[in-house]
Amino acid sequence: MTRLLPLLAFAALVIILPFLSPNLYYLHVATMIGVYWVLIATLNLLVGFTGQLSVGHVGLLAVGAYAFCLLVGSSGWDPFLAMLAGGVLCALLGLLLGLPSLRLPGFYFAMVTLAFGLIVSELALAEQWLTNGSVGMAAPDFPPPFASPAGFYWLVTGIAAFITWLTWNLSRFMWGRAMVALRDSTVAAQSVAVPIYRTKLIVFVFSGLTAGIAGALYATSQSYITPDAFIVNLGIYFFVSIVIGGRGVIIGPFIGAAVLAAIPELVGPLAKYASFFYGVVLLIVVLALPGGFNDLVRAVSERFGRTPDVKTAIEPDLDKLRTAIRQAHRT
Amino acid sequence: MSLEAREVSRRFGGVVAVAGVSLSLQPGEVHGLIGPNGSGKTTLLNLLSGYYTIDEGSILLQNRDITRASVQSRARNGIARTFQTPKLLPAMTVLDNAMLGGWPDVRAGFIGTALSGPRSRREEAAIRLRATDMLHGVGLGSVLNRRADLLEHTAQRFLEIARALTMRPTFVLLDEPAGGLTVAEIEKLGAIIGVMRETGIGVLLVEHHTDFVFRVSDRVTTLNLGRTIAHGTPQSVRNDPEVIRVYLGA
Repeated sequence: MTRLLPLLAFAALVIILPFLSPNLYYLHVATMIGVYWVLIATLNLLVGFTGQLSVGHVGLLAVGAYAFCLLVGSSGWDPFLAMLAGGVLCALLGLLLGLPSLRLPGFYFAMVTLAFGLIVSELALAEQWLTNGSVGMAAPDFPPPFASPAGFYWLVTGIAAFITWLTWNLSRFMWGRAMVALRDSTVAAQSVAVPIYRTKLIVFVFSGLTAGIAGALYATSQSYITPDAFIVNLGIYFFVSIVIGGRGVIIGPFIGAAVLAAIPELVGPLAKYASFFYGVVLLIVVLALPGGFNDLVRAVSERFGRTPDVKTAIEPDLDKLRTAIRQAHRT
Repeated sequence: MSLEAREVSRRFGGVVAVAGVSLSLQPGEVHGLIGPNGSGKTTLLNLLSGYYTIDEGSILLQNRDITRASVQSRARNGIARTFQTPKLLPAMTVLDNAMLGGWPDVRAGFIGTALSGPRSRREEAAIRLRATDMLHGVGLGSVLNRRADLLEHTAQRFLEIARALTMRPTFVLLDEPAGGLTVAEIEKLGAIIGVMRETGIGVLLVEHHTDFVFRVSDRVTTLNLGRTIAHGTPQSVRNDPEVIRVYLGA
């Protein structure tokens, strides 16, 4: 219960934020954190848990955003249906990208995702018949009650909370251990029958799905999208968010997402140097906290909470072992 | 009911690591595999568990040919193993590491797990219970929540055994489990291997501590330069003149 309290307090704060902050600008920043989080939460499963380094998720974000605008704007689809369709499209793209590249060592997968990010951003610029090129296109709003800034904020946080719940479930059950096994020791993963290729592919497809959904939310949050909004840097920032937060913890990259959304706003007139500030934060984190902010939290909590390390002798309990093995083989 | 290697060979470039070796492992027996460095012991273990592909010969599990089967399919069919250098998930707890051995029993899919479905929760609870029991059994019950990389070397070895046992294996292949252990710890390892044997698990024991192998094994095979030079009871292998000449010394 005491562990649940901070979470409940945070949830309450998130829900009542539109009433606390009459300033729409802060609400917009909070919305952006949520939008990024929808993508980063599952990218964290791929990068932080499964150890597959994707730097091109911005390509999936772009596909989701354009699909959303085209389906709603030109074809008149329902925005929610269009958002899901964009997600499914990105899941399929993830499958196509992953099929050849996830069999190869990690480096090749990173290169494939980087190339994908670059290609999508170039295509968005070049294929004017579809995307309007550099002119861009207007992004539709969601229908009321999600049309107002506060309504849209609640929609985004609702989706983000749901996706957080999904990733939390995945991380705490057996699938989470399988994913970490792929990251830390494929040899160990194999020895306990974890299918390496298939598991990586499933996680990548899932992260593609939510990247597409994030794309739709991103488009609406920007009101208007152009290829500029999807430069490859953004994909690298997503990746960096996970490094900053500390990999392998569901909530860890949240701070990365917050930094990503807040830095351009915080530095105000220096916004064109946002990349610079982002690089500085990354450098500090990598040099001072190689495990990300999560490491800092753990170091502090260990300092105040844990009992000191006692060297314990290993005393097998043979009767217990005998019973355990017999029981295991009976079931 | 056995795990069998028939006339298996494996070359690395021009070097023949294993040349036409046959070996069988029955449930409920401890089969010691000894020999000088480079004699092919670990290579044979890797051929049995599927980490290396085989050049010639065949591997059979309960009379089914598994020569081409993947590591994973062998693991699902009851072949567990440990490694010379323990392969653990360093940032996860001892309990999480042992629970990883429950993966072959997981039927809950990705989506069902994401939605915290009843099957994923049921399986989680069952595997947690089983892994906890195994850890208490091998003597790691007091460090369930410690990070695996903070364990001493011996504890890491025992954790790997607990993970292997959580797989509910028919056969366990141990690759130098006594390496780096003190005399007292080797005794404990011997007792654990004894329980595995008693409960019907077939244990292949690749080891350099020959006294230990002769003491706990039912049968012993000695390899030299990739070939079997002796096979039989510990007593007969220990007194085999060829084994004494190339390995044990006078």
